[in-house]
Amino acid sequence: MSESDLAIIKPAMMKSYIWLETSDGSIQQVEQEVAMFCPLICHQALQKGGGSSKNNAISLPQKVNPAMLSLIFDYCRFHQLPGRSNKERKVYDEKFMRMDTKRLCELTSAADSLQLKPLVDLTSRALARIIEGKTPEEIREIFHLPDDLTEEEKLEPLKNTMDDPRIRLLNRLYAKKRKELKERVKLKSIEVEERVDERSVDDLLSFINGRDHKVVNTSKSKKKNKKRKEHRNGTCKVSNKDSHNLHSKQRSVDETSSSLGGVSNLHNIEDDIFSKKAEFEDGYIDDEIDPALKEMLDREVEDFARRLNSSWVLSVGQERQPVHFSINGNGGTRRLTDTHTLLDIAIDD
Amino acid sequence: MKPGIDDQSKPQTMIQEKYTKRYQNLKVAEALSNNHLYPFACNELSSIIDLGYSQLPKDLKAFIFRDCLSAFRLLPEMNTSAAVSAANLLVKSVESAFPKQKKNLAIVEFKQAKVALKRRTKSHDEHIDLPSLPQDIFVHIFSFLDLYSLLSSSQVSRSWNQATSEGSLWRSLFDLHFSHKVLIHIYPGIDWREAFKNEYILYKSSKMLRSGRGYCSYCDSVVWHDNLRCPKKQCRLKSGKKPLDLMLTHEVVNYLLGTTSSSDESDSEDEAVRGLWAYPTLQ
Repeated sequence: MSESDLAIIKPAMMKSYIWLETSDGSIQQVEQEVAMFCPLICHQALQKGGGSSKNNAISLPQKVNPAMLSLIFDYCRFHQLPGRSNKERKVYDEKFMRMDTKRLCELTSAADSLQLKPLVDLTSRALARIIEGKTPEEIREIFHLPDDLTEEEKLEPLKNTMDDPRIRLLNRLYAKKRKELKERVKLKSIEVEERVDERSVDDLLSFINGRDHKVVNTSKSKKKNKKRKEHRNGTCKVSNKDSHNLHSKQRSVDETSSSLGGVSNLHNIEDDIFSKKAEFEDGYIDDEIDPALKEMLDREVEDFARRLNSSWVLSVGQERQPVHFSINGNGGTRRLTDTHTLLDIAIDD
Repeated sequence: MKPGIDDQSKPQTMIQEKYTKRYQNLKVAEALSNNHLYPFACNELSSIIDLGYSQLPKDLKAFIFRDCLSAFRLLPEMNTSAAVSAANLLVKSVESAFPKQKKNLAIVEFKQAKVALKRRTKSHDEHIDLPSLPQDIFVHIFSFLDLYSLLSSSQVSRSWNQATSEGSLWRSLFDLHFSHKVLIHIYPGIDWREAFKNEYILYKSSKMLRSGRGYCSYCDSVVWHDNLRCPKKQCRLKSGKKPLDLMLTHEVVNYLLGTTSSSDESDSEDEAVRGLWAYPTLQ
């Protein structure tokens, strides 16, 4: 074309560029229509006259690094052309979104700081599709997030069921029982020492008999008792750790596989209940229980065990020897059956 | 051939076609490639096989077999624990019902999938730091999630937990699930999550949402619901705000096979419902 022809051509036909500076200091120029697709750049250019020359480059927000910028401009370049059909755009978008999670996050962040809403929508949907259907553990893995919630906070939606009258009743009963316990413990402080010795003998016996899980059981329960006495605070985390072996086993199973809905919620209700009565740990109350009640409790233990579908618990229950020993071993189940019996007693009243 | 025999075989093939047609309309195979629907589809396959694989017409058997194979082949891509447990369930059904040759083929496929899965989980051990996104972006992302995924997200980390407590998320979920049957008094400061939870427990929605299926009266078909609505555009326009009638998995299988089995879920309603709020599960 001759010069005169060029002069006739409208200015809009000439490619004009906008100068942009990214967070790392590098300056580049981009076609105007592409860059103007981003509201932030548009605003800067029109209202503040930026980007007209190298010295006057628009500085982009910190979150926009050069790699993301070029991606974004690819997107803008495609979409700012009015001649594209909706189907073309959709196909392009789907192809565009195929990248790893890290880049998706960076892209979302960059697009958001440039106020490019359609791209933010697109990346958000892609991220949502990644999150969909995953367990919390899996999500944490993908996004490399820390597990910084306490057990209590995780169960928070369930906690609001404090309004449930059953739980209120249970709490009242626990308060009553706690008082009784304290009195009894004072009286029995001497007997406690003796019992500790007996237990160690039983330990040896069972170990000799080759029942390894029993040993694990008692050592755990001994630690439990010690821990309980030291940590008489009500934080769920501690009490949950202290709580019954069978629950800890069940919990780990639940956390890895998410397909035990019926079981997991059952022990979560209990966890909630137990968190409320952190001091109610000692199994010494069982000394007063007469054999008839004990049998009933045994039955409740087995019923409970069946519900939890755990053969380990059943085997422990069947091999019980001395009363106090096994009760500590079954500390967890005892506690649950206690709550059941308390509830029954209360209802009978 | 004698005309008598022809007459007898005709109604048989028509019945066969009916079942096969129904199965194809159910679009189980398509759902297998969807990350979210994969476990639901596997469960349906398991139920169908358990209920009476041997009585199925020949070509339907072939379809089921083909879909089981593709389910196992797609397992490594799914990479969620829900998918793995669904596939385990499916392989159990396969083991008990399939004839020897098909069974072996399917199990080989399954084992290959498990090996591929293991390889995948090993390679994802890079310690990268992902950029942190602003809270309102999280809220925007969560607005696209279904109920179970939202609850999972609330247990991921502290910042996610805070983002999920955003009222607008629960308000739109409430609208989606209950607005057609519940009148709610809206006052300033209303806790939408509480409101949603109360209605959810009241309507015992937990079981219904575990299938991914709904019945659309406008197109008269059983579909994979897209956020409680029919995936077909015309039906969505016609139905407006009204969600689909949700169906349980065993109801879908009954519809397909013309049987009347009942669900074998043994947990009580209350426990199942509460379970949602403690540890979200996808069964």
